[in-house]
Amino acid sequence: MNALLHGAVYGAVIVTVLLTITALGLWFERKFAGRMQSRLGPTMVGPIGLLQPVADVLKLLQKEDIVPRDADRPLFDLAPLLSAMLALAVAAVVPFSPKAIASDLDVGVLWVLAIGGLTVIPTFMAGWASNNKFALLGGMRAIAQSVSYGVPLVLAALVPVILTGSLSVSGIALWQTHHHWIVVWPVVPGLPAFVLFFLAMLAESNRIPFDIPEAESELVAGVTTEYTGMKFTLFYMAEYVHTLVGSAVAAALFFGGWDGPFHPGLVWMVAKTLLLFVSVYWVRWSLLRLRSDQLLALCWKWLTPIGIALVLFAAAWVEFVPGEL
Amino acid sequence: MVNAIFDTLRALKTTLVTVFRKPQTVEFPKVVRPRAERYRTSFALPDDENGELACIACLACERICPSQVIKMKSGGKRESPVTGKKRAYVDEFVLDLSACIQCELCIQVCNSDAITMVREPETPAFAREDLVLDLEKLRANARNKTASWGRGTKLQEAQEPPKAEKKAAAAKPPEAKPPEAKPPEAKPLEAKPLEAKPHQAKPPQAKPLEAKQAEAKSPEKEPASAPAKETVP
Repeated sequence: MNALLHGAVYGAVIVTVLLTITALGLWFERKFAGRMQSRLGPTMVGPIGLLQPVADVLKLLQKEDIVPRDADRPLFDLAPLLSAMLALAVAAVVPFSPKAIASDLDVGVLWVLAIGGLTVIPTFMAGWASNNKFALLGGMRAIAQSVSYGVPLVLAALVPVILTGSLSVSGIALWQTHHHWIVVWPVVPGLPAFVLFFLAMLAESNRIPFDIPEAESELVAGVTTEYTGMKFTLFYMAEYVHTLVGSAVAAALFFGGWDGPFHPGLVWMVAKTLLLFVSVYWVRWSLLRLRSDQLLALCWKWLTPIGIALVLFAAAWVEFVPGEL
Repeated sequence: MVNAIFDTLRALKTTLVTVFRKPQTVEFPKVVRPRAERYRTSFALPDDENGELACIACLACERICPSQVIKMKSGGKRESPVTGKKRAYVDEFVLDLSACIQCELCIQVCNSDAITMVREPETPAFAREDLVLDLEKLRANARNKTASWGRGTKLQEAQEPPKAEKKAAAAKPPEAKPPEAKPPEAKPLEAKPLEAKPHQAKPPQAKPLEAKQAEAKSPEKEPASAPAKETVP
């Protein structure tokens, strides 16, 4: 009962905080993207455009909820809900400080990878249920991409798991507070593993340069083509939350989580997460979209072999370098 | 692959540098960038020298307007209260700026210099109706805004066939005569700069290039060779 209460309270807090950060992230992304393109970004709504996400959500709330006549209604309605729920569910095991964690699962990394991998299902549900060729194509691309990139994602996440000997996200972060950050030492499996994780995370959350499931220039809006109003908002939000939580997981696995020169650790965790979150935008507004075949070639010909090599190297490191564990 | 990584990093660097630069854009209605000297968008109906509206409702601009955004209603002829002479007046004049293509033809056909373009653009509007300029708005524009240099008579004069050249053509052998069907703006050549000078401006068509070519080549050969080329096809 106590654990349930703890989970409920922390869950509520974390969800609220995440959604707030997501809304601010929306504003920040538009501002940041504007400056990258030598524009001003939003300026009209509120001071320096800060109320833009509020205006966006209000606008989306007023939109008519259109369902295509031949849509598979239950699936069509369920997909956005499931998408948002799964994106938020990953946040359960993210340790924001040694205590601030909704559920300290001892298989936290597994939870992150499993739930993160499941997010492809609502995406394909949406694509299938829409009864729209663009949505269906988007859904199929999403599957091809997610299934492929799940492999380097798991391999990259295995590196800190092997080095620290723990499957719990908070356990890995704790190990790094006592020793050193994974990206810092050992550099060779650490830093490349982080880059691999970052790339695979971009692909899992359908971000540029891996956004072929919703490639606007080819597929209208991919799986979200037929979605309007709040259902679209849920998809949109899920994508942002997915990225945000992915950044938090990466910060915990590779950058020592709450570790930093002064307390409280929460500040450090949030700072690292936001820094990674911003770099996702940075990549998004700098690069072009990869073609489908390039995407899969990059995954299977480069990232996966590199991932396997890194895992083997990490295992060798643990086995042969004395005094680490 | 190495190239791809290198290019990716370069793209990331470019955007990062741009973030810390000053944006190129400005908040338009609040901040207006300096306009070019001959920038012009909106229209005005100025008064003539007697302080009356110069427009005599001759319909020339309404007829030539390619997008048909000008509609006017003549008020008929009556005695002018200022000069005592009989003249025509315009009662209604509507110019729909939202569909205007800014071709300036209305200015060019106006024989009484009664319509001009102005250098200041209309303020951005929230409703289409706000971009429909009626007689009052057009008169207010004439009072409050700066007229551009172009006027109907000025532009017509600049595009008239040069008289000096006609004489020269008559003196030459007959094949050097400029063909009849030629539009006035494609007309040669060496007399142009002279013609344009009094208005301190060249006519708006693609003349500068031709004029330069004419200057570069020797003036005796030019009038003979240029029309010959034109007549072949």
